Amino acid sequence: MTVRRLRYCITNETYPYRNLALEEYLLHNVAEDECILYLWQNEKTVVIGRNQNPWKECKVKELNEDGGRLVRRLSGGGAVYHDLGNLNFTFVLTKENYNVDRQLDVIIRAVNGLGIEAERSGRNDITVCGRKFSGNAFYSEGIKCYHHGTILVDADMSNLSKYLNVSKTKLVSKGVDSVRTRVANLKEYRPDLTINMLKEELLKAFGETYGHVPVRIMEEDLPQDALKAGEKKFSSWEWIYGRKIEFSDNLERRFDWGDIELQLVVEGGIIRDCRAYSDSLDIDIFGLLPKYLSGCRFTPEDMEKALRRIETEIGNARIIEDIIRLINEEV
Amino acid sequence: MSKELYFTKTHEWVRFIDETTARVGITEFAQGELGDLVFINLPEKGDEVIAGESFADVESVKAVSNVYSPVSGTVRAVNENLLDQPELVNMDAMEAWFIEVENISEKGELLTEEEYMKLIEE
Repeated sequence: MTVRRLRYCITNETYPYRNLALEEYLLHNVAEDECILYLWQNEKTVVIGRNQNPWKECKVKELNEDGGRLVRRLSGGGAVYHDLGNLNFTFVLTKENYNVDRQLDVIIRAVNGLGIEAERSGRNDITVCGRKFSGNAFYSEGIKCYHHGTILVDADMSNLSKYLNVSKTKLVSKGVDSVRTRVANLKEYRPDLTINMLKEELLKAFGETYGHVPVRIMEEDLPQDALKAGEKKFSSWEWIYGRKIEFSDNLERRFDWGDIELQLVVEGGIIRDCRAYSDSLDIDIFGLLPKYLSGCRFTPEDMEKALRRIETEIGNARIIEDIIRLINEEV
Repeated sequence: MSKELYFTKTHEWVRFIDETTARVGITEFAQGELGDLVFINLPEKGDEVIAGESFADVESVKAVSNVYSPVSGTVRAVNENLLDQPELVNMDAMEAWFIEVENISEKGELLTEEEYMKLIEE
């Protein structure tokens, strides 16, 4: 069945978990003869690919401290940074009508329409003067699928590199690694460009490419309970951090009482194995570390709680405080 | 070809070891459509799988896709090699099994090799 009608949905929500829930809802409800274009924006968010390790791709602690959010999407690929200077698009359709070239044509046509020369690069990127402004990823479920991507218009590049620039050489993980690329904001090539201009141009290009007039989906007509359920799933610790991607991390530091090396194996976000090595003469505490840290979530908060329990058991506040500091700085 | 080998419309294969035990993987055709695999999510030993429902997903350079179980039963073993080397599926999809299922209580809609070949020719 070919595409016989077009619909589009533009949300003003900027809460990433809600926006992903809406995207998944559209996927589950797309008809066989239609293509839906969904346009959305997230406030300060790092979005990792389905099979990525959050700690390896994102400075989780800094992002959280700055009030940003971490999101795991359904599709594959690498980590990206979103803020209100970035516009996301999703093409939702069935496999029969799925055609990456045609979908990318909509984006390229729109950007060209704004007077900026855009071209495809590699499999999944769109570039301007050799710099990437749009990354694309894909997901399918049965006969339904989506193709989504980002368009950098005026994103905060210092935040982008701040949260995505991770240099954890000691962290060894399964899963998918991100590829670093030179990126650009479209606004650099057209200073008066706004997100609204881009949205309008995308809708126009959408209609022209498929030869139909897109009809708007009103968000308030959608079942709010289904969206709430999706929002809950996407914001859950289990989905974001608890996914079954095994990795190991080593925390090492030298303190005035001696050095310490903590070897951690993490599975599904939980510390499965912990080994502690030290040349300190205080051996009790290093014997207790594996016992208390195993089974604990790989988060500074939960690990600190475990260490406080050791402190209650055997005292030794000074060494415990140092280890907590190490964990807070490195995890 | 083996009598015990069947296929699904969603491009998985199932090879029965006996009446209630089988190995499951994805077909050569599926592998070709997906392109180079970069990651495979597998269930754990002891998990239940249900005929027609997703039990794993694969990420390739093109997309993330679900893998559906041809049978209902309990996971007896998972092919851990695939976690480190998803490319084994690209190299030989019929050998690179995903899971071994035991206590099979139900089979989904299964196709013979001939029927499956006809399906992918369409």
